[in-house]
Amino acid sequence: LKLHRLRVIDFAAIREADIEFGPGLNVLYGPNDLGKSTLAEAIRLALLLPHTSSHIEEYLPWTGGHNPIVEMTFETEPQRVWRVRKEFRHGGTALLQESKNGVDFDDVERGRKVDGKLRELLRWGIPEPGGAGGSRGLPTSFLATVLLSTQSDVTSVLHNSLKGDVSGTGRERIAAALQAVAQDPLFAALLRATQARRDEAYTDKGAKKTAKGSVFKAAADRLNEVRDEKEKLQKLVEDSEGVERLLRELTAKRGQREEAVAAATERVATLERLVAEAADLARAEEQVRVAREEVLRIERIGKDVDAAKKNVKDLSRKVEEAEQTLKAAQGRQAEAAAALEGAETAVRDAGSDQGMTGTVARQRLELRKNAAEQASREAHQQIERATAAQKLVDAVSAAEREYQAQQTEAAGARAALGRATAKQDDADEELRRIDRLERVLDARTADEQAAAAQADVERDASLRARLKIETDQREALARRRAAMTVPASAALVPMRRLDTDLAAARGALNVGLVVTVTPRARLEVRVQKDGKTAAPVSTSKPMEVDAAAEVVIDIGKVATVRVRGGRREAQRTAASLEERWSRDVVPHLAAAGVADLDGLSAKTAEAQELDTSLKAKDAELESLRAQIASLAGSGQKLREASDRAKACRDALGDVEPGATAELARLSWLSSAGADAAGTRRTRRQQLLSDLDVARAAANQAGTVHTLAEERGRAAKSTLDAAVVARDAALAAFPKGIAMTLSTAQAALAAASGEQQTIAAELASLESTLAAQHARIEAALHGARATAEEARAGVELAQAERTTAIADHASQAGRLEELRKLRDAQDLAAAGSRLRDATERHAAVPVPERMVTEAEVTAARTAMTRARTDLEANEREIQRTHGALEQVGGAVARDRLRDATEAFELAERYEREIEADYEAWLLLLEQMKEADAAQASNLGQALGPAIAGRFEALTEQRYQNVRLTAQLGTEGVVASGAVRSAERISVGTREQLSTLYRLSMAEYLCTAVVLDDQLVQSDGTRMDWFRALLAEKARSFQIVVFTCRPDDYLGAGALVPKGKSVHRDTGGGFVRAVDLLRAVRRT
Amino acid sequence: VLRLLHTADWHLGRRFPSFPEEAQKKLSRARMDVIATILDVARRNAVNAVLCAGDLFDDPSPAADFWEGLARTFRDRTGPHPPVFLVPGNHDPLTSESVWAPGHPFRAQIPAWVHVVDRDDFTFELAPDAILYARPCRSKAGENDLAMALPAREPADARVRIGCVHGCTFDIAGYQTNFPICRDAGVRRGLDYLAIGDTHSFRDVTEASPVPTVYPGAPEPMTFDEPGAGSVALVALFRHGSRPRVQAEPVAFWRWIDRRCRDVNELRALLTTQDLDRHVVRLHLDMTVSLAEESEVERILRDLQGTDATHGRAGVLLLDRANLRLQPGSCGVFPDDLPPVVTDTIARLDRLIADSNDEGEKSRATRALAHLYKLLQGQESLAGRPR
Repeated sequence: LKLHRLRVIDFAAIREADIEFGPGLNVLYGPNDLGKSTLAEAIRLALLLPHTSSHIEEYLPWTGGHNPIVEMTFETEPQRVWRVRKEFRHGGTALLQESKNGVDFDDVERGRKVDGKLRELLRWGIPEPGGAGGSRGLPTSFLATVLLSTQSDVTSVLHNSLKGDVSGTGRERIAAALQAVAQDPLFAALLRATQARRDEAYTDKGAKKTAKGSVFKAAADRLNEVRDEKEKLQKLVEDSEGVERLLRELTAKRGQREEAVAAATERVATLERLVAEAADLARAEEQVRVAREEVLRIERIGKDVDAAKKNVKDLSRKVEEAEQTLKAAQGRQAEAAAALEGAETAVRDAGSDQGMTGTVARQRLELRKNAAEQASREAHQQIERATAAQKLVDAVSAAEREYQAQQTEAAGARAALGRATAKQDDADEELRRIDRLERVLDARTADEQAAAAQADVERDASLRARLKIETDQREALARRRAAMTVPASAALVPMRRLDTDLAAARGALNVGLVVTVTPRARLEVRVQKDGKTAAPVSTSKPMEVDAAAEVVIDIGKVATVRVRGGRREAQRTAASLEERWSRDVVPHLAAAGVADLDGLSAKTAEAQELDTSLKAKDAELESLRAQIASLAGSGQKLREASDRAKACRDALGDVEPGATAELARLSWLSSAGADAAGTRRTRRQQLLSDLDVARAAANQAGTVHTLAEERGRAAKSTLDAAVVARDAALAAFPKGIAMTLSTAQAALAAASGEQQTIAAELASLESTLAAQHARIEAALHGARATAEEARAGVELAQAERTTAIADHASQAGRLEELRKLRDAQDLAAAGSRLRDATERHAAVPVPERMVTEAEVTAARTAMTRARTDLEANEREIQRTHGALEQVGGAVARDRLRDATEAFELAERYEREIEADYEAWLLLLEQMKEADAAQASNLGQALGPAIAGRFEALTEQRYQNVRLTAQLGTEGVVASGAVRSAERISVGTREQLSTLYRLSMAEYLCTAVVLDDQLVQSDGTRMDWFRALLAEKARSFQIVVFTCRPDDYLGAGALVPKGKSVHRDTGGGFVRAVDLLRAVRRT
Repeated sequence: VLRLLHTADWHLGRRFPSFPEEAQKKLSRARMDVIATILDVARRNAVNAVLCAGDLFDDPSPAADFWEGLARTFRDRTGPHPPVFLVPGNHDPLTSESVWAPGHPFRAQIPAWVHVVDRDDFTFELAPDAILYARPCRSKAGENDLAMALPAREPADARVRIGCVHGCTFDIAGYQTNFPICRDAGVRRGLDYLAIGDTHSFRDVTEASPVPTVYPGAPEPMTFDEPGAGSVALVALFRHGSRPRVQAEPVAFWRWIDRRCRDVNELRALLTTQDLDRHVVRLHLDMTVSLAEESEVERILRDLQGTDATHGRAGVLLLDRANLRLQPGSCGVFPDDLPPVVTDTIARLDRLIADSNDEGEKSRATRALAHLYKLLQGQESLAGRPR
């Protein structure tokens, strides 16, 4: 480790510090309370403290506000340069960068990971942050204590050792550095091998490694794998055995169910047998009954034959009786027929006389009736003719009235037509006048527009000329303004304030000086008073120089004496203000070319005025440009207006605008002001509307007139035709129509009376003839009824006889059939069958008991249920078989056997592995303990190096230094006895501690920080140490913070006055750093 | 004379989970290699047929390597070949998805003289007066007797009738569902020879019967408890009614032995076993040894097992060292000229053994001493000098 640079900001009392370290001895000196120990702490915190740790509270800036920031650049080996930057506290950050050249850095870690990486780089025995062994505050370790000393506990190294380290990295690093000096090579090899075997299985913290690739993981994986396989197969076998067990149960159940089915089947058979026996008995009984009925039936047929014989005999007697009845009826029928014939003859005789008389009377009456009807028809015809003639007369009168009406209407239509035409003409004329007026007005407007366009063209030219003038003026102003460099007026206020402050500060310095120079020999003296240089003087006499604030006396080659008035603070204030004046004001004065602020103020005012004028000019130019822009195209507009005016005059033709009488008459239209065009447009529209109305009225009137004339012509021809017809009709009535009509109506009335009389006479005749006819019909009807009764009696008698004959024949037929049937029956055989049936019946067994249908049905149901159960059981067995086929039975058992064996082996192997590595662990522990106990240790290696130097330092007062295996300090050997370090003097203890630190740093080739470690040492020993440090500075880096630089630096090694912060001497291996210059305190 | 080669239980594709990976490969490969040997035996003995009575694959759907390998073995046989009959067993039952299914690519790759028994009514006329009846297992377990399901002899049938099925003749608990075979099924079905498979040891289960019912056993043993495994059955049938002659013919490459060594001498003697490289050895170490002896034991075991650089003397070694015990304490086996810190370590471990009442702790310390002893030996050999 080698430090390159340390930057600290807002860290405790330090506002800012920036230190570059040299490769060897770095003596960082400064007065007390400057912050040296704070810087030493900053190094420690940069390397060890996580940026989020609350430990930083101790180092918050005294003035508050910002987070402390420490940035340190260091090197771990050639071309591996690191830069760590930590902003502490909440919201802070940490960044670690790496570089090969110390210039170009790449990010390596950020945030919390920065400290892990740093600790890995340092290997100081500090565990990674966040681990179980990590401390919460500022972490420490033996190496951190040794290499980063603190002023507060200079001898801490003497009462610490590696025992307290949480991580072994520090010890390993020291051991590696000390190498073979520490251990026996065989033991070291054994230890390494054992450690390696232990590390195969366990983490640094002693936990079993379970990550991929570890021995335990491999064994556990193998065990898990075979366990899974075994459990899977176990399950399979269990399933299989379960299925087999189920199968056995089902098979056992199958036997029971088969028995149940057999029992149910037997019961059904028994019941069915009883039912069958009962059925047989019933059937035998039935056969007996049937045989008995057969015998009875045959006996009944014999009886029926006897009855039929008797019936036939009775029916023969009835036939004879019916024939006698028929004969009697036929006699009565003959008598009635004779009576009817007599009556009909009488009717025929009476009817011929009475008919003749009636017919003659009727014919006379018919003739009279016909005559009366002829007279009536003639009278009717006469009346109709007269009525028609009268209608013709009436028609002529009506036609004359119609003709007169049409004539009147035609005259009215003609008058209306004339009026409408006149209105139309008026409207046309008015429109023409308006057209003319508008053309005149257009011509006037075009003239006016042309005149306006001409005016615009002239104005445009004028504005352009003015724009040019204004532009020239503006450019002149701008040039003037550009030549002036002045600050903003607001900037003058602080300048004034600074001027005042500066004047005050100068005033504080302006205390008045009188310097007396008393030469001891002739001197060349050049005096400068208050900044004014006087001519050189060569004098050997005393001279007094008086000045207000400063005198500089340059005395030849001897010296330059500068005397300044005022206190240091006032001078610093004045210098600061001067610097500010030079920085903030002088450049403005120079730029403005003025000597003071008043001049600058005047210049600024002038510049402001110029700025105002420029703004006004800019506004005016803008306005002119806008006006010119608004007149753009005025020439074109003028040409267009001229063309339009000419076109309007051409359209006006011969009309003289402004001089016509019509225009005078229409002046109301032309003088209507702004709305003249609108008024004209309204008027034109009204006239157009009136013209349309007038034209419509004229058309309508023309149509009405034409129709009236047409109707008049038609009425005239109708009238003429009616007159001709009337005249022709009137010629047939010489006596006049009225007389003829009255005569015809009288003849019609007489004929009607005659017709009524004839009708009454005819009705009387018909009544008389009807009464005679009724009497004859009554007599004939009586005869006919008697004859009908006789005929009915005959028919009845015939029907009765036919019925009697049919009944007789029917009974005779039946008798014959019965006889045949009786002859076909075998009564003896039927009797024999009856006997047989009776015997069989007696032979049929009688059932033990009667079985009901319900009983049989129940038994059958029970049997069906038993069979269903058996079938279900069979199905279950089949299903179980199927399941067993899937799970495997013996196959699964075979595999389980293999898997179990593999599992047991894997289990055994895992146990072996564990036992094996536990033994390695135990061996390692025991080796370490033995190692510690045997003191084959670091102390033995490091001790002599420290002891040798200590002996030299103390001039053999102390012969040895005893260190433990873990580098704890047992004591020093003086006069052959080991004495505790506490018993030697404070200064010697400090020196021993420093030697310890230096020795360790030398072995590790790393930087060591010593914070005022040797304050109690006398000059002789300091000289010894100075020489030692100068020598060791060539091997490793030593950083010393001290307030007594002379203790560590030779003459002339201090930083010279001036701005330089450090000075290198000793061939570049000794660097003095003036912390007063490197550190800015808050 | 009708000659048959009867084999079964090849279990191609069988896994050996107890063994290290390399050994598993060896054993699995041997299962395939033995098929060629069987076919060679068949040809050498001029058999009329090869009957393979089930469990030819370990699974009904084996990995392609296995069925392709078997098909290749068949195809590689040149010249005329007696018919081979492959009967599905309970490990590789005939299902629609199995390797035996007519649509499986295996079926297309086997030569015509290889017949798969894929019907319940399978028959094949081996000669004009000899007929084969076979019936496949169709599931992994079953209660039906496939032998009794073969057709019975007709009264006028004087042919030699051979049956071939897979199943178990042991009517004991746990076997009722493993396709049980009635012991007198051969007689009852009128067979002259009943070829069966399932048990991995050679066995004629009906020695007193005129109809042999034979398990030929697995041609390559699969476990250490199959003493009669590793053969096929050669059968000579003369005529119906005459008991055929059945003879076991060894074909296995591997011999499986189970050894228990109770001292170092016995272990040393193991090394002298003939053809040890064709042995699968399960070695139980049941002894108490000193640290020095333990070191020798380890050396012998390395010899037997081999290392990354050398082949082991044993073909396959399965080691059980659960009963290998160490004599507690260093017992003066360590040299005297060790660095003091090492001597101190040994003394500390010895003290732990002496003082502790915890057997586990004692055992751990003894083992730690053994580690140290071996480390020291390693250091010596590195240094090239004995202590």
